Amino acid sequence: MIAALRTEFMKLRTVRGPWLLLAAGLLIVVAGISGLVISGGNLKSPATQSAAVAHLGIAAIVSLVFGILAVAGEYRSRTISDTFLSSPRRGRIVAAKLIVYAAIGAVVGVVGAALAVATASIWWGAKGADFDLGNADMWHTIIGGIVANALYAAIGVGLGALLRTLTAAIIVAVGWIAVVEGIVGQLIGTDLAKWLPFTAGRALALAAGGGDTGLLSRGAGGIVVAAYAAVFAAVAVFSTLKRDVT
Amino acid sequence: MATVEVRQLSKTFRSVRAVDDLSFSAPPGKVTGFLGPNGSGKTTTLRMVLGLVRPTGGDSLIDGKRYVDLPSPRRVVGAMLDASGFNLGRTGRDHLRVLATSAGIDRGRIDEILDEVDLTTAADRRVRGYSLGMKQRLGLAAALLGDPEILILDEPANGLDPAGMAWLRALLRDQAASGRTVIVSSHVLSEVGQTADHVVIVSGGRLRFDGSLAELDSEDGSLEAGFLRLTAAEVAA
Repeated sequence: MIAALRTEFMKLRTVRGPWLLLAAGLLIVVAGISGLVISGGNLKSPATQSAAVAHLGIAAIVSLVFGILAVAGEYRSRTISDTFLSSPRRGRIVAAKLIVYAAIGAVVGVVGAALAVATASIWWGAKGADFDLGNADMWHTIIGGIVANALYAAIGVGLGALLRTLTAAIIVAVGWIAVVEGIVGQLIGTDLAKWLPFTAGRALALAAGGGDTGLLSRGAGGIVVAAYAAVFAAVAVFSTLKRDVT
Repeated sequence: MATVEVRQLSKTFRSVRAVDDLSFSAPPGKVTGFLGPNGSGKTTTLRMVLGLVRPTGGDSLIDGKRYVDLPSPRRVVGAMLDASGFNLGRTGRDHLRVLATSAGIDRGRIDEILDEVDLTTAADRRVRGYSLGMKQRLGLAAALLGDPEILILDEPANGLDPAGMAWLRALLRDQAASGRTVIVSSHVLSEVGQTADHVVIVSGGRLRFDGSLAELDSEDGSLEAGFLRLTAAEVAA
């Protein structure tokens, strides 16, 4: 298993694409916070600090796409055959990918959190407002954002393993977030909609009291997203085990 | 030394019978040419031997074991399946480093094998800039990395220039001469004719011929005529 983990990390280390993608996610955090300030956010309100760092949760969408690359990217580059030739125990490979990609998702979350706090405190200072590092809700939002980045990366690994086609997996993921979940939510009603994966993710990573009603608590949102990640991880392993690699 | 044994192997994709009750074996010390027209089931057969495709029936054994049961498969079998199976953004050397790490092969072997396939100077360039022939050679390097007893190469001659072909033939002969088992598929008879000791011909997923080149030659007067007669049988049937 150690060899499988090292291999997956080395695969990532030797290409640029995934890192550029993750860098774009971090850019979203910085740009998003800057946008909030420039568009006239109320910097005197403690809730605005939370709203600023909540952009970390938006970066989790990029971590989701990053996770999709793990398996679907190997089908695209046709390196998946080589991967399974080295290690015919496919379950172990998918498990290694889940661990490595979720861990990197978490690291991206931590780096993004540092960037978010730094960016926000600079803006607050520049506008002559006090940036309160003791703001508990801000830190809860940050922790939620870090967890979201890790869990969405794992969900991406599962989705990519299930669909195997990179473009299809990305379209399904982004389409679900942008359009489908909203429609499904309206069809099933708020009571059930809060359990949907992206709505639960919003509960996990967005600022509390941001005017968003019909969400689970942050902790419950985290548990629900973790449950989705576990389901997708299981789907990833089982859909990979017996499939023909042609 | 290891024999590859294919035993009553069958594969049906939805309603298509890609491989149909196919049996043959490839002995050590010989180059086995695995021939057939495009779409005759060669690649599917090789992928079943390598545990990538699950047979509908039958099985395939390497040294008496299924591929998936080999403890360190890359040290036993080196395979080249797809000359486009690279991440184009990765350098040739990194491609081999990934494989060496995944298979527990010593890093020192990488320089050795890069030299052997004449890719040392291109090793630190991204595969995106490689010619088809260079990709073939990188694929061969990957197959040879674990110094395996068995080599399985699917259409390795695609994209090689005449000098590359001559080099490939010499390499295959060397490997067989040192007692290794070599299976090399092709849809072009002349590629294999000068190299193979033993020929297995398939068409429509079925075995059409299994024997020495001399037998094929004497029956029809020429390899080409034999190949065409055997593969045409499918059309007539």
